[in-house]
Amino acid sequence: MPLLEIKNVNIAYNTADKQVKACRNISLDVYEEESVGIVGESGSGKSTLAMGILRLLPENIIEVSGQALIEGKDIFQMSHEELREYRWKTMSVIFQKAMNSLSPVHRIGKQMEDIYRVHYPQEPLENIQKRIYELLKIVNLSDRVYMSYPHELSGGMMQRVAIALALIFSPKLLIMDEATTALDVVTQSQILNEIMELEKKLKIARVMITHDVSVVASTCKRVVVLYAGEIMEQGDVKDVLLDPKHPYTQGLLNSFPSFKGERGQLRGIEGSLPDLSQDIPGCVFAPRCPHACEKCQKEKPQAHEIKPRWSVSCHLIKDGESND
Amino acid sequence: MKKFIAKRLGSGALTVMFSIIFNFIIIRLAPGDPATLLAGKDNPNPATIAAIQERYGLDKSIFEQLLAYLQQLLHFDLGFSYVSNRDVAALIGERIVPTLLVALTGAIIAVIIGTFLGVYAARKKGTWIDQLTCAVSYLFDSTPSFWLGLILILVFANTLGWLPTSGMYSLRNNYTGFRYFLDVAKHMILPVTTLVLLNIPYYFRIARSSVLQVMSEDFITTLRATGMSEKKIFNKYVLRNAIIPTVTVFGITLAYMITGVALIEITFAWPGMGRLVLDSVTKRDYPVVSGVYLILSLSVAIGMIIVDLVYALVDPRIRVE
Repeated sequence: MPLLEIKNVNIAYNTADKQVKACRNISLDVYEEESVGIVGESGSGKSTLAMGILRLLPENIIEVSGQALIEGKDIFQMSHEELREYRWKTMSVIFQKAMNSLSPVHRIGKQMEDIYRVHYPQEPLENIQKRIYELLKIVNLSDRVYMSYPHELSGGMMQRVAIALALIFSPKLLIMDEATTALDVVTQSQILNEIMELEKKLKIARVMITHDVSVVASTCKRVVVLYAGEIMEQGDVKDVLLDPKHPYTQGLLNSFPSFKGERGQLRGIEGSLPDLSQDIPGCVFAPRCPHACEKCQKEKPQAHEIKPRWSVSCHLIKDGESND
Repeated sequence: MKKFIAKRLGSGALTVMFSIIFNFIIIRLAPGDPATLLAGKDNPNPATIAAIQERYGLDKSIFEQLLAYLQQLLHFDLGFSYVSNRDVAALIGERIVPTLLVALTGAIIAVIIGTFLGVYAARKKGTWIDQLTCAVSYLFDSTPSFWLGLILILVFANTLGWLPTSGMYSLRNNYTGFRYFLDVAKHMILPVTTLVLLNIPYYFRIARSSVLQVMSEDFITTLRATGMSEKKIFNKYVLRNAIIPTVTVFGITLAYMITGVALIEITFAWPGMGRLVLDSVTKRDYPVVSGVYLILSLSVAIGMIIVDLVYALVDPRIRVE
């Protein structure tokens, strides 16, 4: 059984005069100790998906359908009490802006104590402090961070604090929403290496949301390619990134420069995201797809399995073409 | 911290110094001359005017006058009023207490009610309660103080007869002790109410927008994701962060309150600093004007230092090493 099973999830934002369907019919699995990268350009719905399954979106303006099962239990159907039990103990999250991830006027250690007490209110302070010092050590921070304020630390140090905080209850699933995007590449690779070591040691599954394909390539086992709120292609990193089947995945990979081999022309993808408040009868990528045919405009492609756990949503695949 | 306080004291002293000099020069550059006013409208005898000018040193240059005034200040002497011939320090001393009484009471009540309403409206954002409190706050924000004061007098003093129209105590009865206290309190109700109603909108708006802003911060999302209860998040994290702008504004308004209540003092014939300033400016009573502004700039400077200190206490980002 997968640790997290997302089934046909739709998430829409209701605004005054229209409904923006940010995530459409998304299905994906995350198994225990697996690392999954969700990539896509800005506005593809990756953060909405993460915030949606954490139930952190303002409930009065969103509409959700489908299921998100964590250990077999549907997050969307949980009562607030049940949800509270799952939060942080089973799944925790690290956000992009680590600098703002803690209150600026409370000491870091004190906030961590408060968060610890959310789930273990009776725990003696001594034990909590021991746990926090242990966590700071795990993420290579000195003890003085305990009594520091967020503004006294650098961005990289705060990112480490955010990681320590996310690991406080040894969760089964860690969601990183653009968590290393704001860091310089050196700090980013240091932190990513530390995280990969930690998750091996602590047996944590990771969902990594990023627009940086190279981060996914170096740190994830699986990749999910999202475009305009729909999954274009998903599979193992070594399959999808080496031999992309979907024209969008191909375009996305062509938008990144390669260090090795020929210095080829860096190509982006022509056009921009479709209007998500409109119903799109055909393939969402068809208007920008170089290979689009008439069928693509009219009919939504189904996910076709190329091999187990590698699927592509494209009409061209069904027709047996490899469209390279 | 000691260095921080010393630095603030230094800049405060400099501010007061500059304002003394500016006020001294500005009032003397204004048209009108105390000697002429003192000599009387009907009998402008040049010899009398010259005698008065000589007596008060007004015949000397502004620079010489300023030097003499500063020298006098070094001996803690504010001089004597041209009009009443009384010690300026004593004159201010008896006026500052009534002003502080109204200003402080009003400011404290306004900050408590305004902040409470602002926080409440923010929690009820978008509901009719929020919209109603916002509308009422804009209404009071655009109301002139003298108009509101007159309406209150009209309703509660003239029509209903519940409260006295003006002054600080009943002139007919010579109350002492607790009865005197009650009498003053009764006279205070209308001026303080006016002040409170006019100041609530500031604190209301600041508290409301500040709470809303803090609630949209990333760390609130983090805390929600940990499963912390909304109540704890709000009471411990939102409020502590949201209170910072209120502290600043409270300190600043408190510092300016002594001048700010002038119109209200005039409306209610309250014997405070506001009326003293107005009277002394119209009569070109230079020593009183200078003395009053010295006290005002001193209170603003001290107020600001206190604000800085309190600010450093609530916001660790401000603390200077």
